[in-house]
Amino acid sequence: MALLLTRHTPTYSPPVASRTIGYLGVTGYEVVASGRPDQMQSLAGQMNGLSALPARPQDVDDAVAADAAMGAVVTALFAHTGPTGQRALKAMTAKSAAKAAEGLAPGVIEASAGYGRAVGQAILGWAATDGGDRIDNMGFPDSYTPNPEPGHWVPTSHIALQQAPLLPGWGKNRPFVLKSGTDCGLPPPPAWSTDPASPAYVQAREVYDTSRSLTADQKAMARFWSDDAMLSVTPPGHWLSIAMQVIEAKDMPLPQSVDALARLGAAEADAFIGCWSAKFEYDFIRPVTYINRTIDPDWTPLLITPPFPEYPSGHSSLSGAAAAVLTDLWGTQPFTDSTGERDGLAPRSFPSFEAAAAEAAMSRLYGGIHFRAAIEQGLAQGHCVAKAVQALRTLK
Amino acid sequence: MKVLALALIALPALADEPVVPKFVAEQAGVTASYTGEWEQMVGGGVAVFDCDGDSKLDMVIAGGTSPASLWKNDGTPGKDLHFSNIKAGVELTGVSGVWPIDIDGDGIRDLVVLRVGEDVVMKGLGGCKFRRANEDWGFQGGDGWSTAFSATFEPGADWPTLAVGDYIDRTQDMEPWGSCTDNHLYRPEPGARRFAAPLPLTPSYCALSMLFTDWNHSGRASLRVSNDREYYLGGQEQLWHLDPGQPPRLYTEAEGWQRLRIWGMGIAQADLNADGYPEFFLTSMADSKLQTLAAPGPDAKPVYKDVAFARGVTAHRPYTGGDKRPSTGWHAQFEDVNNDGLTDLFVAKGNVWDMPDFAQEDPNNLLLQRADGTFAEAGDKAGVASMLTGRGAALADLNGDGALDLVVVNRNGPVEIWRNTGPVANWVGVELTAPGANRDAIGAVIEVRTGDHLQRREVTVGGGQGGGVLAPLHFGLGQAAEAEVQVIWPGEAAPGDWVTLKAGSVWQIGKAPAEPVKR
Repeated sequence: MALLLTRHTPTYSPPVASRTIGYLGVTGYEVVASGRPDQMQSLAGQMNGLSALPARPQDVDDAVAADAAMGAVVTALFAHTGPTGQRALKAMTAKSAAKAAEGLAPGVIEASAGYGRAVGQAILGWAATDGGDRIDNMGFPDSYTPNPEPGHWVPTSHIALQQAPLLPGWGKNRPFVLKSGTDCGLPPPPAWSTDPASPAYVQAREVYDTSRSLTADQKAMARFWSDDAMLSVTPPGHWLSIAMQVIEAKDMPLPQSVDALARLGAAEADAFIGCWSAKFEYDFIRPVTYINRTIDPDWTPLLITPPFPEYPSGHSSLSGAAAAVLTDLWGTQPFTDSTGERDGLAPRSFPSFEAAAAEAAMSRLYGGIHFRAAIEQGLAQGHCVAKAVQALRTLK
Repeated sequence: MKVLALALIALPALADEPVVPKFVAEQAGVTASYTGEWEQMVGGGVAVFDCDGDSKLDMVIAGGTSPASLWKNDGTPGKDLHFSNIKAGVELTGVSGVWPIDIDGDGIRDLVVLRVGEDVVMKGLGGCKFRRANEDWGFQGGDGWSTAFSATFEPGADWPTLAVGDYIDRTQDMEPWGSCTDNHLYRPEPGARRFAAPLPLTPSYCALSMLFTDWNHSGRASLRVSNDREYYLGGQEQLWHLDPGQPPRLYTEAEGWQRLRIWGMGIAQADLNADGYPEFFLTSMADSKLQTLAAPGPDAKPVYKDVAFARGVTAHRPYTGGDKRPSTGWHAQFEDVNNDGLTDLFVAKGNVWDMPDFAQEDPNNLLLQRADGTFAEAGDKAGVASMLTGRGAALADLNGDGALDLVVVNRNGPVEIWRNTGPVANWVGVELTAPGANRDAIGAVIEVRTGDHLQRREVTVGGGQGGGVLAPLHFGLGQAAEAEVQVIWPGEAAPGDWVTLKAGSVWQIGKAPAEPVKR
């Protein structure tokens, strides 16, 4: 349901989606962990600002409690979804609650749901203080003055709303695990230059030349990982979908499943916070701007250029973090990803999570929206974020 | 035919801001509303046409959960507006949209009534009376959630081709996304004056507006479809070929069609730059689009540039009232509301339904074209910046005074009517009367020339949101006392002769005899 609503809620740009996936991961984990103190350790005290959660009463059913907790968080974090989303949310919440309660005594259902709702409310209270709770104007400031110096980001579309960049303050949000958005800092992008011998020109030329000789498979990669906001589950949703596919295929036990989803969610959220911090530190120009000014005024990229600075690549930071976390948990794992199948995107198979991350990252160059430095440094930033997440203590 | 010299030609000075006409709200006796909840979050329009041959424009208003209603124009020409509700046979519930068209070519306008449920075609009986004609005309109305409509006459046909766009599968309450049901094409049954079984226009992507348009002067219409990206999977905006005797087929990327994914809600077309090819305005949430052909010409590919930002018609957020959240645009219509010879744009606005990230106080736009091709917002100055929840609308000369008035259908709110009190400049109205089945000459192109200023309009049925106008086409003339007019009739490549029409009247132009008649 959360993935459906991510696609159909207008404020759900990729950073916003990563935040919600992060909180949902922790919610599910805490409900399950609270019933297994000998096997699992709470994340309270390990994640920034997360203090002890409500105590679990006797005779709580995991499914009912988790359903109630997740339902509370989903309902609140998607409160802005439209009338169809609200209608679907109501129908699905009722259905899942009924299914979870099947065969249970009324007292157990009541106690379990009450506990779940209390956990959900505690998570929401925690979330409300992270700086990312309120999204106005779909994430775009009312006004913005681009840096007039060459080499800096300028609006890349003629969409009025996007004359300011998306969520310029997102990098200042409280991360889940990193101390701050600057923890996994990056070296600067290539210095601005139009000299054909300069690294900046060389990488722009690479994007331009590549775009003019794209293979069918490279185009397929670009579209497969495009993950546009409001037209897909977004990049963090895509990696959540991958994890869910693997969990389902392997019929993974519940503790291992919720551990993976909590770690993945935190990694994704922190990767975007770190990425956004760097994006607005360096405020780097997009390929379409550079190439139109310097190489070919009529060039257009295959993908829609996102409305915010280029360096580093968000999909690369996120994919690097997600792949490292999943590899740490499950090892080198071949898998087939069918996330976009209903959108007409053929499934793609990968020998490992890292191979998928590498493809996701390079897809942004094929799509003409990122330079190589943003891709390589983005992946590196993701790996840095994953290390912090890997330090969490969860399963005993 | 004799072509008369123009007596006076004048357009506004290039740097002038457009004259803002004053619209005065008049209840005009109309008490209709488009009511309902989820199944009425879209739709809600008005059909404006003359249903009793008195040369005054009447209205049929979609009611949603309330019955549709017909409002007979019994006002005095040139004076205040007034309408009376009469029992007309149109009083169906579940109506999402209504369009007038003379289906059977008897000179009396019929209706296509789209519904949440079975769509209905209604035969006009004269005197503003209608009766169901699905069975008589072989129209299979289905049981969908219909939301978009357009009509054309294919070359040589004596019966129209209708396109009906559908929305969500309304039985899918848990996962409605990706459940777009099929749009359909109703072509004439060969050898009979009725419809053949409908052809599904697969793939369908939750259409909210459709328009048959001869966008490339091919002599036959293509079908533009604007789709709501909220609900489709793998979808985009669409343009269909409609070749005679062939199944409809989509324009492809190889033909130049570019993937565009918006919350498509309404289509309006007008040739804004006098290059002979129409621009398309597409309403959406936040930014709307204004598309112009990248390379107009006889072999033009359907490659469009979005010039909404450059022209000042993104209409992306409220411009008055203080609500800064993004807008939601629905019906759009190009007309010249101040008669300065430059086509203006009206956009009805309103939140879908409690969407908190979009403006709740979302004023309608009245964008007046400047001589340099950009547009100036004048909705508040003109008096039409209503904060009700707009859906369908119509700009039409309801009191026959030469100034286009405005009707807006609001969701769960009263229909609003404004009388345009001017000031407006000179104007001319042109009503085509064609022989044969296509009485209203759908697909014809009218060109109006004042000096070196050319206006060009195609007679279309469709587009907008939930309804449309079938009335004489209105042309502002600025200070010119007369205009030269020529017609390219449907199915003909060459235009007829230029004729000169005096300003201040509606003129009927027939194909033969071609001498215009003052109505």
